[in-house]
Formats: sequence, structure tokens, C-alpha cells
Amino acid sequence: MRWFKNVTLVLLAFVVGIILLPFQAKAAAPKQILIGTLYASSGPFATSSTSQYHGLEFWANQVNKQGGVYVAAFKKKIPVKLIAYDDQSSTTLAATLYNQLITRDKVNLLVADFGSVLTSVAVPIAQEHKILLFDPTGTSAKFFSPKNPYLVLTSLPTSGVWPTVLADFLITHKINKVAVIYSANDFNQSQAETLKAKLEAAKIKPVYYHAVPTDTSNYTVLIRTIQATHPEALIEFGYPPNDIAFLQNLQASGAKFNMVFTIFPGQQLALIEKNVGTKALEYTYTYPTPPLLVYNKVNYGMPMSEFEKIYTQETKRPVDFLTVAGYNAGLIIEKTLSTSKEFNQLAFRNAINSFSGKIFTLNGLFKINNEGAQIGEFLPVGQFQPTKTGLALHVVYPMNIATGKPIYPAP
Amino acid sequence: MELFFYALISGVLFGIFFALVGIGLNLIFGVMRMVNLAHGDFIMLGAFGAWLIFNKLDINPLWSIPIEIVVFMIVGFFVYYAFVPRLSKSKDPEMLSFILFFGVAQVIEALAIFAFGNNQKSIPFSTLGQGSVTILSQPIPFAWLISAIISLIIIGFIYYYLYHTRMGYATRAIMSSQEEAASVGISVSKISAFAMGIGLSLAALAGVLAPFMIGSIDPSIGSSLTTMSFAIVVIGSLGNPIGTILGGIIYGIAMMFMQTYLASWTNLVPYVILILILLVKPAGLLGKKVRNA
Amino acid sequence: MHKKNIRLINGILLIVVTIVLFAILPKIYNNNYLLFNLMLYIALSEGLNLIYGFTGYLPFGYVGFFGTGAYSASLLILLLHVGVIPAILLGGVAASVVGIILTPLLRLSGAYFAIANLAASQAIYYIISNPHLENITQGPYGIMLSSVYNAAASYNAMLLVLFFALVLVLFFRQSRFGLSLLSIKEDSITASVAGVNVVLARTIAWLLSAFVAGLCGGVFAWYTSVFYPETVFSLNISIFAIVFVLFGGASTLIGPLVGTVILYGMYNFIGISTPQYFQLIYGILIILLVLFLPDGVISLFKKVRKYVP
Repeated sequence: MRWFKNVTLVLLAFVVGIILLPFQAKAAAPKQILIGTLYASSGPFATSSTSQYHGLEFWANQVNKQGGVYVAAFKKKIPVKLIAYDDQSSTTLAATLYNQLITRDKVNLLVADFGSVLTSVAVPIAQEHKILLFDPTGTSAKFFSPKNPYLVLTSLPTSGVWPTVLADFLITHKINKVAVIYSANDFNQSQAETLKAKLEAAKIKPVYYHAVPTDTSNYTVLIRTIQATHPEALIEFGYPPNDIAFLQNLQASGAKFNMVFTIFPGQQLALIEKNVGTKALEYTYTYPTPPLLVYNKVNYGMPMSEFEKIYTQETKRPVDFLTVAGYNAGLIIEKTLSTSKEFNQLAFRNAINSFSGKIFTLNGLFKINNEGAQIGEFLPVGQFQPTKTGLALHVVYPMNIATGKPIYPAP
Repeated sequence: MELFFYALISGVLFGIFFALVGIGLNLIFGVMRMVNLAHGDFIMLGAFGAWLIFNKLDINPLWSIPIEIVVFMIVGFFVYYAFVPRLSKSKDPEMLSFILFFGVAQVIEALAIFAFGNNQKSIPFSTLGQGSVTILSQPIPFAWLISAIISLIIIGFIYYYLYHTRMGYATRAIMSSQEEAASVGISVSKISAFAMGIGLSLAALAGVLAPFMIGSIDPSIGSSLTTMSFAIVVIGSLGNPIGTILGGIIYGIAMMFMQTYLASWTNLVPYVILILILLVKPAGLLGKKVRNA
Repeated sequence: MHKKNIRLINGILLIVVTIVLFAILPKIYNNNYLLFNLMLYIALSEGLNLIYGFTGYLPFGYVGFFGTGAYSASLLILLLHVGVIPAILLGGVAASVVGIILTPLLRLSGAYFAIANLAASQAIYYIISNPHLENITQGPYGIMLSSVYNAAASYNAMLLVLFFALVLVLFFRQSRFGLSLLSIKEDSITASVAGVNVVLARTIAWLLSAFVAGLCGGVFAWYTSVFYPETVFSLNISIFAIVFVLFGGASTLIGPLVGTVILYGMYNFIGISTPQYFQLIYGILIILLVLFLPDGVISLFKKVRKYVP
């Protein structure tokens, strides 16, 4: 009788094993975590996009050096693999490629290309295929809605929010005559509109408020026209080519304003400086961003000094803001995978919700609202002040993180 | 009122420069009836040539002018003999040239990206002279004045060539009627090749001045320069190179006034003018009949 | 008559096979976007064929109609809450209306027409994207149509538009009307002496061509659901359509189809694996094409068989 019992026991175990097999198969971990992304090697977004991509690439390499990223759902480290295609700054090509990453390459995670234009096509695709889109720098407010959980902005606030601190600076320093010139696209117009609204709420009406075409490359006549309105501050919202042209023309024209503000010197200082020269940037204001802005409280990932050192050592490239943004996106992915108990997209989003507000990286506080938009990192106001060794960018507002006092009016 | 004068003066100065931009395109079309859609990319090459010389040899970019004249004359000969005889024999040379030169534009842009990368490059205004000069009590950047003067001199040379030299006469004969010119014994292909060389050199020379008038350069400015050149040429008249001066000045003034008073509509100006002219007086303000049916 | 019937059957067969292929392929090959774009460009090329292949006018600004259709349909849906299908149809009509406004341009010859058409499409683009008109056109902020997003339905809509475009071209190819257009292309004076109403025929071809582009624009807007003005007014769209038609062979039904499939397929393949060389290869290809095969790839077949659909 005993052998009968044994056989039955074995048979039972066998049967149970077979029944449980699909459950085990479901829980089998992938050999690699596939992360899909795009970059632009040519076209108007190339400079920023390749920087951002290299930052993400650096993160992947660092993580693989340590055996991979820790995935809580499988309780082990798994190496990551970046699958990246070139969209040549074209939205139509980008759409096809995002689709391909999801349907053919079957990536586990999706990271958007640089900027609102190249991210815009990814948003509906990610939503349709129900895959979470990690968005480093696509800051258009219209991407985000409470109904779409498949989108998280990792490294910047939405563009409409950027000028809030700048507006405060102007108001508290009683700068009442403000001229605003902006290039006509989503990114810059949303900032101009926010600034105008905030100024008008404080009873300050801009003396000059005009849009110019995005491909404007000569600001001389515009500067002359602005001069005629005698503003104290001149705020220029544009993309890097606009900023470069504007600063060059401003210097050549010899026009003097008490305060001049542009966006991209704070993000891509090397590129701007090479084209306009150090003198043209002296005493101008901008949004300081990492690495020109150093956050000292870091509880996840490398702090800025370490990142700069290791990155420049390994890749022989300089660090600019886009590099930081790409690396930061990687950090958020890493935290998501190491927090999420299940390996599916909605669980990832829930995990992000759970650690939002608790992570301080070299890019600042990571905190999102219920739409997935960033509300942790904000953009302060900084001024380039000349020193014996070149330009130093000092944060001049808000006071609690200021590293210097503004020199106003500019000499 | 001040703004008005500033717009007017800068409009005229820019207009002269724009005339230089368009005159090469006009010459090539007038002589060969071919539409050089790569015109803007040749301008871009000229600009990069000046930047290279300034950056690597550390001398004034204006020195690139004589160098580029030689280089692009040679290039022009090559381009002519490579493409034009074959194209002339086909069914619709005008249209096919459109597309051919578009292909050339793509090739040039791709090679430029390989050679120079995507980033903006600039040449400081100070290389053309510091500060500003006062005209009609308006401070005008010195660099603009120099560019306008250089453009004027170059256009002057072209005028002299076309109206006071034998080859120039022959060129105008071909522009008027190719068959008749050939029957009188003019070597159409040699003169046309020469004209192609001149046309491309003119584009390159406009390119040398471009970093000062238009701003920083990168390989992708070619296509917008081409469309701008078309507007300029059509306003003056397609086929009459000297008419390009008028086209340039009208274009320049319109742009500057738009920028001063209605900044966000600036881009619309060249196209609206172009359409209006083509509908009202398609031969251009100075040209002869080109209506079809 | 016998020959003509065979040609008609060949044409119909081609259309049926194409449509069936595109209807089935999504089930096998997962990249719907590529298939959609392929259909889009075939339809656009055939639409361009209607005017370039049959009248010789080259609309360098063909994308203007495409963008007009996209924006008209989107604004009708967003602002007036029109249903998607009527909005797309009205988008096509809007493009034709723009075509009517631009008919004076047909008076111009070759290069002038091309440039003027280009200027017109750029003008429309700058008007639509200007911040001052933002309240109507959303200006630089672009369009978000996510509320009506429906991948399957919009794919099928593209299928229908493609069918329509192919049928139109077949009609042009087979009918007396198409023949009269070709005669105008050859020599308009002789044609009018022979009794062809030159102006009317050209205008009809022009408006139909615009209508096709407008429909394509509307369906594109529906499928993509998020776009900036630059996307739907990009000159690249015109240029691709023109190059595809030229490469394949104008004034035939199969020419633009073959041209698009080969070249757009190449664009996706090379563009993905070696993007930095893509522009160079494309440019060289165009140059070789114009120099050695100005009548398109199909002309090679014409040497073997006199007639291609």
C-alpha cells in the first residue's frame, strides 16, 4: 500500500506543479530591461537632444556596471539595454519610431526625446498602447491631464510655470517698465503669457509685448523699436538660435538696458558663450539650471560634483542641463523599478506617486501632481557676473537659495 | 518717426544685400532657364567658407572673397557640364532642373552637416568694424554699411560685365534667345558655363556677408535662404539680373517695416508680395511677358 | 475597345490588390504607423499625379492643401463640434476652396507657378500659426484632438481615401477627360483648337487634386491627434510626394504607387539604420533619377510592354 501512497503523492505534486507552471512562467523575469528612446542627430533639436540622450546613456552604463537595475517585482538586479533611434528632429518620423519601439522592439519602458515638439507625438501613442512615458523635457502643459496616467514629467516643470519666480523678482524689485519679446511657439509663448498675467495681476503692464517668428535671426531692428519704449527690463523668450542672435545683436547695437533676460544661457552656457562671447553675457539674467545650479540636498543618485567629474572623465564631454535631465530621467526609472512591486505600467505609475516628494536628486526635488506634471523643481533667477576667471552665474532670487546679490541696474 | 527712419535706412541697406543674395539665382535662370533650388545652400557654403577662414587662419573673413570667387567659378563649370547639357535635351528642363537642384541641395546640406556639425557658428561683427555709424541721426551698425557697400561693388562689377564686355553681350544675347545666339556663332555652352560659375560665386559672396546681416549660420539655413531668394528675384524680375536690386530693396524695406510695426507677421511679407506680383505683373516689376494661357 | 477593357481591368485589379493588402497587413505586421504613412503618401502622390502627371503643373506647395484640410477638419471638430467624418470631408472641401482662390495662379507658366504655389502654402502656414489668430487656430500651440482618437477607424478612413485617390487616377487614365488633359499638357493651343475647354479641364483637375490632399490632411489629423502647425505644413511633405511621383513615373496609376513604396520604404529603412547618410543618399538618388530616368522607373517597363496601368 505504501508505494501506492507514494505514487499518488508524486502524481499529486506533479499535477500541482503543472497547474502552477503558468503562474511561475508569468513571474519569470526578463533577461534585460529594454528601455526605448529617440534622439535627433540633425535638425533644430539636435544639440539639445543628443546631450539629453548621452545623459540617459551614461545612467544606463553606470547601472549596468553594478550588475543592472534592481527590480523589486522580481527581487533581483537585471541589466538594462537602451534601444534608441534617430528621428532627425522630424515629428512624423518620430511617431513611426515610437510606435516601432513599442510594437516591434517591445520595450518595457519608454523615454521621450527632447522638447515639447518631439514629445508631443509620443503622448497619444503611449496612451493608446498603455505604456508609461517618461518625459524628461517635454514641458507643454497641454500634454498633461488627470485622465492620462501614462505620462510623467521627470526633469522640468511645465513651461507655463517657468517664469513664476522671474515675475516675483520683477515685482519685488519694483521694476515697472518691462518689455517682453518672445518667439511664436508653444514653449516660449506659454512663458510669455504667464509672465504677462502675473505682472498684470500686480498692476504692471508691459511697455512692449510682441511675438516674433521662431526663425527670427536678426533682432537689431526689434531692439531699436524696444529701445523707443524705454523699458527698464527686457525679457527675451526664445530657443537657443534666438538667444544667440538676440545677444549678438544687442551687443553690436550698443543698446543698454538695466536688465536683460534670456533662457538658454542658463541651460547651454558653452554653446551660447562660444557664439556671443563672454562680454555679451555679462550682467544678463537667466534661469540657472544644473549644473550651474547646485542642489546640496541629494538623497538619490550622484550629487552634481561627482556626476560632473565622472561624466567628463568617462565621456570626455562637458555637462550641460540636458545631460542632467537625461541622467535624472534614468534615476527616476531606477527608483520606479526598485519600488514597484509589480512589473506593469500602471504599477510603475503608482510607485512613482508613492515616492513623489521624497526624492532629492542632483536636479532638485522630484514631485509630481496628479496629472504627472512636475511641481518640485522650479526655476530661480540668476545673473552672470564677471569675475577674474570668467563668468560666474549667481542665483539672485529667491533669497533662501541665493548665492549672490543682483547688480541692478547693469553697468 | 525715429523708428520709421531706422526701418527705412536698414531696409535699404539690407535690400542691397538681399539684391546680392538674389542676383546669382536670377543670372542662372536668365541664361539657362534652370531653377537652382540649391542656391541657398551655396550661400550657406560661402558663409561657412568665411567662417572657416576666420576661425582656422585667424584673418579677416573678407579675405575669403577672392578665394571663394575662384573656388566657385570652378565648381560652376563642373555643375554646368555635369547637368545642364543632359537636362536641356529632356522634355521639360525647367521643371526637371527644379527637382535636380533640390537633390543637389540635399547632398550639399548632408555634406555640410558631416563637415561642420549641427551647431550655430558665428563671426563677431567687430571684424567688419566696430560700433555704429550715424545716418540721418540713426545709429546703424557699421558692419551693415560695409556689407551694403561690398554688395554694391559686386553688383557693380556684374553690371559692368553684362553691359560693357563682349562676354557680357554674349550672355545677354543668350538670355534673350538661346537659338538666335547660337546661330550667330556664340558658344552657348562656354558662356553658359561661365555664367553658372558667376552665379554660384555670387551666391557664395552673399554667404560671406550673411553672418553679419542674417546672424549665426548652420547647415540648415539653405532652404529658407532659397525661398527668400525666389521672392527677391520674382519681385524684381526673373531673367533681369539688374532688376534684382529693385527686388532686394523692396523686400528689405518691407521686412524692416514689418519687424518694426507688426513683428509677428514678418515671415508673411515675402510670400504675400511674391503672390501679388505674380498675379498682377508676373514678369516682375521690370520684366517682360511670361504669361502662359 | 478590347485593349481598353483589358487596361481597365488591369487598373481595377491593381487598386483592389492594393486596398486588400493594406486592409490585411495590420493583422500581420504590427507597425501601423508605417502602414498608415505609406498609404498617406501613396494617396498624396496620386493626388499630386492628378495635376502634375496630367497637366504638367508642378505644385511645389501641395502641402498647403494638406495642411488646410488638417486644420479645417480639426477646427470643425474642436470649435464647432462637427462629427469626425463630415469634418474630414469638409476639410477636403476647404482645400478645394483654397484651390479656387489660387486658380489665377494657373495662368502662370512652369517655374513661376511652382514658386507661387510654394509661396501660397507658406503664406497659409504663417497665417494659421500666427499668435494673433490663436483664438481660432490655436496658433503655435498646435492641435490636440485626443477626444476623438480612434486608431482603427482612422486607419480605415485612410484606406477609403486611398481608394478614392486611386480610382480618380484610374478614371483620369481611362477616360476622355484624362486624354484631353494630356493633350493640354502636350500643347494647349492645339488642344483648344481641337475643342477642349482648356481652362475648365485644368481647373477641374486642380480642384480634385486639392480635394484629395485636403482629405488626406483631415484623416492625418484624426490619426495623429496631436500636431503643431509645422507638422502639417512641412515642405518635406510636398517634396516627398513630388519625388515619389517622379521616381515612379507620372501620369500612370502604378507609377506613384511603386515610387512611394520603394522610396518611402527606403526612407524608413535607411533613415533608421544609418540616418546620417540618409539625406546624402536621398539627394544623390534624386540627381541620378532626373539625369537618367526622368520618366520614372515605370518607363523602364514601358520599353518592354507598351502600356502600364
